[in-house]
Amino acid sequence: MSVTKLENPNPSASETDRAGYARLVTAAAGGDRDAMERLLMRAQEVAYRFSLLVCGHPQDAEDVMQDALLKTYRYVSRIKEPEAFRTWLYTTVQNACRMKRRRHVGEPAHLTSIEQGATGGDGEPGPVEVEGHSRPADQLLIDSWVSGRLRQALKALPPSYRMIVVLREMEGLSTREVANVAGISEANVKTRLHRARVMLRHAMEGV
Amino acid sequence: MNMDVNPECGAMLAGISAYLDGDLDATACDAIERHCRDCSRCATLVDGLRETIGLCREAGSAPLPEPVRQRAKASIERLLACENPIRS
Ligand SMILES: [Zn+2]
Repeated sequence: MSVTKLENPNPSASETDRAGYARLVTAAAGGDRDAMERLLMRAQEVAYRFSLLVCGHPQDAEDVMQDALLKTYRYVSRIKEPEAFRTWLYTTVQNACRMKRRRHVGEPAHLTSIEQGATGGDGEPGPVEVEGHSRPADQLLIDSWVSGRLRQALKALPPSYRMIVVLREMEGLSTREVANVAGISEANVKTRLHRARVMLRHAMEGV
Repeated sequence: MNMDVNPECGAMLAGISAYLDGDLDATACDAIERHCRDCSRCATLVDGLRETIGLCREAGSAPLPEPVRQRAKASIERLLACENPIRS
């Protein structure tokens, strides 16, 4: 049985992304309209993926995108640390998802999936119901967007693990950036990522 | 899943993420590769994890569904038109 290492993981890839974001922020702040448009599009893409894959609330996605759009625009106008933009963006989107859940009137508390994850520490918070109530048209879009098997498997992960795997594997954040967004140590990110990968693998086998 | 009591498999499992991320030195990589030649269970797990990680990375680069992208683009245009009418 031959074992080969993964193609990537290009160790400098996430660093390049971070630098790429920083350049885009700096250019946008300097009045480059094209850079501003690209940055605002990226912010909305991040918000969409985070809403669907981490929070599991497709019906929140476009509101969270609007929030990311406006806050990114304002961030650029009072730019301080372009290098910190990416961490800021994911933290902002995460908060928008949480706020959105809080505002949902009459929704059972168990749907606040990220909150549970955040307080779950390294324990294993049981499976959380993250199914949304998106309109049928949206569901069709989502189904054709990312593999249903992968989305189902992600749902099976405890929320705090789901966030780590999405930020690290899908969004390409560095271990340090993930640690900053999740508010845990880098060592903890690595441990959770390892467990999340194994859990995800087993969940994929089951769907 | 229940990785059995075989300590070699246990050590293998603990180092597998670092291995897949290219964070292990050559000696540690060799040990894992040697183990996987003799242990089909661990070899299957390594292959499975590699596939899972690959699927995640693919998903991360999936573009927005077209109607969503169009709405996102329209939001940007509206924002830039009203917030910043001079530049354009
Ligand atoms: Zn083994």
